[in-house]
Amino acid sequence: MSVWQENLPQSNTWLVSVDGRLDQSLNPKLEDTLNDLLGKERYHIIVDLTQTTYINSGGLRCLVSAWRQAKANGGTLVLCGLNTRLQEIFSMVGFDKLFEIHDDCTAARKQARSRTPL
Amino acid sequence: MANEQVLTVPGRYKEIKRICEFIAAGAAQAGFDDDTIFHLELCCDEASTNIIEHAYGEEGAGNIVISYALSDDDFTIVLRDNGTAFNPDAVPPPPSVTGDELTSDELTDQLRIGGLGLHFIRNLMDEVRFTSDRLSGTPLIMIKRLGTRQ
Repeated sequence: MSVWQENLPQSNTWLVSVDGRLDQSLNPKLEDTLNDLLGKERYHIIVDLTQTTYINSGGLRCLVSAWRQAKANGGTLVLCGLNTRLQEIFSMVGFDKLFEIHDDCTAARKQARSRTPL
Repeated sequence: MANEQVLTVPGRYKEIKRICEFIAAGAAQAGFDDDTIFHLELCCDEASTNIIEHAYGEEGAGNIVISYALSDDDFTIVLRDNGTAFNPDAVPPPPSVTGDELTSDELTDQLRIGGLGLHFIRNLMDEVRFTSDRLSGTPLIMIKRLGTRQ
């Protein structure tokens, strides 16, 4: 289980990838990673959930908090790669309407590069 | 209850995975499909987190006792703690989950994140009962009907 970040080439967008279960064990790591980026004024973020097998309300809370901060600073936090179970959880609480969500992370990266070129 | 299985763990976040695995194994034996098992894990995760955060107020302040039992009609999960009694009726559902007409700004303003866990429990289980019993702790009873198996 891990969370890592990387800068997308030729853009001001940062990619955060989550591998594992977003529960109380991994949520603090995601929160630290997102806060680290936001603290450095990196407000354009993609969170890749392709390898994420589970999310609880703490994980949702963490993503919404970061989304609010990014948005308040003229940025965006985009999600991609949600499996059907995660999609169900997001839609159950209306977060599928809150977030920009892409099925395909490659498309999300491509769009981000054109949206935030260096 | 027939076939009751019981697990007692310290009220710590790292123990929640054990609780989920315990329930998942029982639910698999009961014949539930993978999606329903995922829902049961999520409900037990949220209920256990609420016990640590609200009933005990911190990690390591008491145990969580979780049990499940299978009857002809139901799969019944009971979580008990010895912390402060919790009134779920005081927690309103997230107000905007059905608000299709809301803009994202309005949605953000109206979201009350704290009620999300309870919202999942209420929506994913067929029956939920909270009681307060000073002798046996504070049981949360969550029931899934076996008719929902595939």
